[in-house]
This record gives sequence, structure tokens and C-alpha cells, in this order.
Amino acid sequence: MIQIEGVSHTYRTTDGRDIPALEGVSLEVREREFIALLGPSGCGKSTLLYLIGGFLPIASGSVRVHGTPVTGPGPDRGVVFQHFALFPWKTVLGNVLYGLEKLGVPRDVREKRAREFIDMVGLTGFEESYPSHLSGGMKQRAALARTLAIDPKVLLMDEPFGALDAQTRSLMQAELLAIWHRSPKTVIFVTHDVQEAVYLAQRVFVMSARPGKIKAVVETSFERSDPHIFKSKAFVDKVDEIWGLVRDEAMKAQKGRPF
Amino acid sequence: MARLIWRVAPWAVVLALAAAWEIFAASGAVTPFMLPRLSVVLERIRADGASGELWQNLAYTLYRSFAGFFIAGALGIPLGILIGRNRAVRWLFDPLISVGFPMPKIAFLPIVTLWLGFHDVSKITMVVLDASFPVVTAAIAGTMSVERELLWSARNCGARGAALLREVVLPAALPQIFTGLQVALPIALIVAIVAEMKMGGVGLGGAMITATRFADSPGVFAGIVEIAVAGYVLVKLMAVLRRRLLLWHPEALAPATV
Ligand SMILES: Nc1ncnc2c1ncn2[C@@H]1O[C@H](COP(=O)(O)OP(=O)(O)O)[C@@H](O)[C@H]1O
Ligand SMILES: [Mg+2]
Repeated sequence: MIQIEGVSHTYRTTDGRDIPALEGVSLEVREREFIALLGPSGCGKSTLLYLIGGFLPIASGSVRVHGTPVTGPGPDRGVVFQHFALFPWKTVLGNVLYGLEKLGVPRDVREKRAREFIDMVGLTGFEESYPSHLSGGMKQRAALARTLAIDPKVLLMDEPFGALDAQTRSLMQAELLAIWHRSPKTVIFVTHDVQEAVYLAQRVFVMSARPGKIKAVVETSFERSDPHIFKSKAFVDKVDEIWGLVRDEAMKAQKGRPF
Repeated sequence: MARLIWRVAPWAVVLALAAAWEIFAASGAVTPFMLPRLSVVLERIRADGASGELWQNLAYTLYRSFAGFFIAGALGIPLGILIGRNRAVRWLFDPLISVGFPMPKIAFLPIVTLWLGFHDVSKITMVVLDASFPVVTAAIAGTMSVERELLWSARNCGARGAALLREVVLPAALPQIFTGLQVALPIALIVAIVAEMKMGGVGLGGAMITATRFADSPGVFAGIVEIAVAGYVLVKLMAVLRRRLLLWHPEALAPATV
């Protein structure tokens, strides 16, 4: 369970300006729940994820994961970054092995486990490839395997499919859901794609334009095994409803820009 | 076919220059003392090689260059990473680097000579002084441009402190660090030769000064050719090493510094 209470975050730029990124964010995520954080670009979604991950200092408010206040990064919270963040000097296998090695998994076990997860994300045959030789979709699969292999209780995903083409993206979405059904974890999935949020999450948290706040929480539980879910009325209505909430914020975010 | 032309083109230029040298020197426009024919110079290099003198000089110069180069790397890489990672260390060293880098280090030669004498220690010290700057600055730049997400990914699995530097910062910064080393190696050779010229003794630079003293024109020009070849080989070796070491890097070919 994740409890976030009154969290604010302000960035200080190098020329000394303060940029409020988050303001008084409170939310609760239940055990093994899949939630989406939805909001326009620049509203502080990544910032919130980094705070939960323990990568940024929590200056005001509190973040608790399973009752323990977050004070730094830890393997209980696995992160999939927007730009993969694979170690480019390590092969796919080397990338997946690294975390296991750091966590002290015995040598023979970690090799087997790494190959299992590489297989799970469909990268069998690419164990010895370097990330620079992989397509965007394959990089994201490798990053997912690396994070899943350390078996985190909480999965933090920052627009993981944002850089992928439409086909690869819908494939990865379906696979992610399949993986989640097989081994349910608490997932916080950041996206600015309404359809993606509605398809994946049980609840969608809509954020306001910068400084980010939680503007609305929408339940989005569907029978996802239906292959025509995207065309079903319930799904389309839900997308419309949430799109309405997001549009105002997207326009506000646009206005704040120079052009 | 086109590829073949590109491969031989650089050599064609070298051959053309060599031919121009030979023809110009033989034309009588200059005296053989001012510019001996290339064939005479090459014959001299062959003779020096046969007598073993060339190899002795080469060995001394390379020893000083490499000793200085390796010390510069061993000091410069960790120091650069430390400066790049730690703001306090950066404040301490930044002025030193800003002043020291553009400074002609050869200006310290008299002091180094006073302190350490005429022998290898002071020559190698001169090499270290000059060759460390490109290494340190490259290591700083490489370290500071490591993506924070890479560090976070590692910290997430519990990597901390020295392990984080060794396992993430060093490999991530390696392409830039290696570029610094590629700049530093020819500098090491140059400084070793200049120091030999100033301080005398065995070595390619020392031999050239001795040849000058005896008005041995082919000997001087032989030195020039030997240094050019040695420098070329070193630069090429570094480029090959880079390609092997950075196999994972998308631009495994660049920059070759030719
Ligand atoms: N390191 C930083 N320094 C200054 N401002 C930042 C920094 N990182 C993010 N910001 C600003 O904070 C706001 C929120 O950023 P982010 O959390 O990345 O938004 P999102 O992920 O929703 O696109 C943005 O307006 C961004 O410009
Ligand atoms: Mg973001």
C-alpha cells in the first residue's frame, strides 16, 4: 500500500528560479492495485514517481510504502524509466543480471532467473545483444525484464510505452496486463495517453497542470479479456469522461508555454 | 571499388609528398645540408636500425611517454570522476584546472629540472604535467553527463559509493574519458621529445639535438620521420583499442583523431 500525503516539490533551476512542480498531492494506492497517473506533459508526473522511488528528497508532505516512510531508493520499488535507462555497456543479460547480483542472489540462481524474465518479455535470442543494437520496443522489454527480475512489490512506470510505435505499444500494454495478472504487484503507471490509462488501470488519477495536484480519481474497471474492449460503449464513454477532465488541463499547460 | 579508393587515398597523399621531397631535394634548388634527399634519410634510418641505435632511442622515448601517460591516466581518471561527482572537490580544483590547462607546462621545466635533475624522473614528470589535463577534463565532462536515471537504476538495487562509481559512472563516462586519453597520448609523446631536446640524453629528441650539434643533417631529418611514424602508430593503436573497448557504443568508430 502506498500513502502519499500533502506532497509538494519545487525545483530550483541553476539560475536560481523556483519551479513548483507539485503542490499538496495526496493519494492512496491499495495493495496490488494498478493505477494510472494521467496529466498533461510537465504537470509533475515524473516528479511524483521519483519521489515515491526515493530518488528526490521529500521536502514537504510524506510518502509511505507499506507503512514505512520513503527515505531513499530500494529494491521494494522497481522503476521503469521513460527512456529505458539500460546500461549501454552491458548486454541484455548483463543488464538483468546486475540488479540480481547487487541483491546478493547466488550466481547459479541469478543466471536462471535472468533468462526466465528475458523469456517472459519475449527477448529470447537477444541475451547477448547490446541495447544500442535493439529497437525501442525491445529496449523497453529489456528494461521491464530488468525491473521485474528483482521482484519489487511496487512497480513504478514512467510513460514506459510513450516512445513506441502504436502497434508495439498495444502489444506491450496487453503483455503488461498479462504479467500483472500472473504476479499482481502494486503498479503506478504514468502516462499522458487517456486510452492507455483507461485500458490498463483500475483507477485513473487525473492531475492538473503544473503545479500538479490530483484533480480527479476515476474508477475504470472493465472486463479486459474482451478483444473488442476499445470499441465497447462503456470503454469509449470512460475515455470521453476522462478526456474531458484532461483537456482543460492540457489547454492550461499549453497557455503557459511561450508559443 | 569506391571503397578501395577511399582506403588508398591517404597513402597516395603520403606517397606524393615523399616523391615531392625526393624530387625537390634532388633538383639542386636547396643544398643537401638544408634538405637531404628522402632516400638518404631513409637509408640513414635503416642504418640506425641495423646498428640498434634507433631502437634504443625509440625505447627510451616510448618508455618516458608511456610512463607519463599511464601516470596521467591513473591520476587523472579518478580525480576527474571525483571532481565531476563532488561539488566541494570541484570548487577546490576548478581554478587550478582553469589556470593550469592553458598554461604552457614547458615553463615549469626549469623548476622541475632544479628539483628532480636531468634524468627520467623529471622528463616523465613533464609528461605527466601536460598529459593529465586532457584526461582530467574529459573525465569531469564524462562524469557530469552521466544520465541520472542510470545512477538511479543502480542505486535502486543497492549500489552505493565506490561501487556506484566503478560500476556505473566509470563505464558510462568511458567514451569521453577515452577521447581524453586519445588526446593525451600524442601529447605525452610530444612532451617526452621536447623534454629530451631540452635536457639531452638518449631518446629520439636527444638524438636529434646531438645530430644538430654535429651538423648531421640526415640525422635530424631521420628524427623527424621517426617521430612522425611513431606518433602515427600510437594514434592508430588508440583508435583500434577504442573500437575494441567500446564495442557496445553506437559510435564505436569515432573519434579517431587522424
Ligand atoms: N531538474 C529540474 N529542474 C527544473 N525544473 C524541472 C526539473 N525537472 C522537472 N522540472 C519541471 O517540473 C515540471 C514537472 O516536471 P515532470 O515531473 O518531469 O513532468 P511530467 O513528467 O508530468 O511531464 C515541469 O514543468 C518541468 O519543466
Ligand atoms: Mg515525465
